[in-house]
Amino acid sequence: MNVSILVKSLAGSIAMMAMASPALAAAQATPAASAQAPAAVSLKIDVMIEKTVTENGVSKVQLVDPKVVVPGDKLVYTLRYHNAGGLPAVNYVMTNPLPSAVLLAPDGAPGTDVSVDGGKTWGKLDALKVTATDGSPRAAAAADVTHIRWTIAQIAPGASGEVQYHGIVR
Amino acid sequence: MNTYLTPLRRAAGIAGCSIVALSLTAPLAQTAHATGVLAGTLIENTATATYETGAGTGSVTSNKVTVKVDELLDVAVSTLSTAPATATSAPAVLVYSVTNSGNGPEAFNLAADPKVSGNAFDGTIKSLALDSNNNGVYDPGVDTLLTAGALATPVLAPDKSVKVFVLVTLPAGAADAQTSQVRLTATAQTGTGTPGTSFTGKGEGGGDAVVGLTTASANSLAGLVASLANLTLTKSATILDPFGTAKPVPGAVVTYSLAAKVSGSGSLDGLHVIDTIPDGTTYVPGSLKLDAAALTDAADGDAGVGGASGIDVTLGKIAGGTTKTVVFAVKIN
Repeated sequence: MNVSILVKSLAGSIAMMAMASPALAAAQATPAASAQAPAAVSLKIDVMIEKTVTENGVSKVQLVDPKVVVPGDKLVYTLRYHNAGGLPAVNYVMTNPLPSAVLLAPDGAPGTDVSVDGGKTWGKLDALKVTATDGSPRAAAAADVTHIRWTIAQIAPGASGEVQYHGIVR
Repeated sequence: MNTYLTPLRRAAGIAGCSIVALSLTAPLAQTAHATGVLAGTLIENTATATYETGAGTGSVTSNKVTVKVDELLDVAVSTLSTAPATATSAPAVLVYSVTNSGNGPEAFNLAADPKVSGNAFDGTIKSLALDSNNNGVYDPGVDTLLTAGALATPVLAPDKSVKVFVLVTLPAGAADAQTSQVRLTATAQTGTGTPGTSFTGKGEGGGDAVVGLTTASANSLAGLVASLANLTLTKSATILDPFGTAKPVPGAVVTYSLAAKVSGSGSLDGLHVIDTIPDGTTYVPGSLKLDAAALTDAADGDAGVGGASGIDVTLGKIAGGTTKTVVFAVKIN
């Protein structure tokens, strides 16, 4: 029992180290976790609020844990994955439907595929079209995005990484 | 501190199940709202992932993160009067619109200020009223007059607006065609301040209320123009004596002409032209005329009365720019 708890907390601390590293962190061996749960890649999401704080005339952006937000607040969602299994995971596709109350910030999810039709079709935002109110097609904007998708070609055993996107409370 | 253990277990429990991912890619109802997400809304977010390993395919659902939307205090005020409202002896009616541009229900205090820089005169605020029947026109007796000390809108739902009438009377010194403005200010009853000011526990549903970019206070100007009229009365006389000349001798007839000139953009009501018969003269029966049309002497259907006690011609309501001329004759005794 005691041993088991020790193993768990060890796995947790290693995971936290991985989380703190930048996106697509290099592989890290976590033999304890892989022994516990083979062939599983976890996914965890968290949200922070971006506050611009001006101190002594210098503006800087702070990330704070939001309890509450108001319309117009900028949110940063972070999706963290971790391959705790013993096998490489390939074609790891993370899908996040945007909450209806959240607008994708302009250039809020650069370089990844988005959907503007509820996840039916996907592409880079500048290649997508939506139907304008007059029935004619127009170029999709960040505000039209309903879903965001990231594809990680391969996650080695024990590897971790994260992706982020920026949203605005409608 | 969260470890990955919980998601791992969950992932194991639904391994191979792709229904989860499919159901979450269904279109979400887009609740576009001009004033933003309603106060009290919970913004929940869950992501999913699918992947393949040598042992088969897997899918995983993330934890759910939730943030609550607080009440944002915002307000907009605009004037609906496209041209300056006319103030005569009756008050000018200025029309404003007050909109709750916040995301929670809120009532707004109202203040009308007639002292605006550049005014030719400062009007007097007679009363404020709400457009109870929402027809954009002030209907006395129908639209709710606000009582002093309770000058406020009702609680407005987000995005809802109410029309406010401000009734303004002219001060004594105002002259015809002078203009003036009145500023209507609406402030959130919960509080105002610099954007970001927070009122703990005052928000919808027990959350905080936060002042938005409008500072929770807004105002708008509406104009009025004085429409007044002035009366000038000019009396002239011509004499015709029995000898065909113009000497004021006994038996000569004096014809008086009274020109009542109304000037200005307004009008005057209840006008009478009244004159007496001078001592030593006698009214010439049947000589009374209004704008060259003969009037009978008797008090009857027409506008004039003439006789030994004098003349009285009723003009009624006369618009500015009009001149009415009354003529009567007397004979020198």
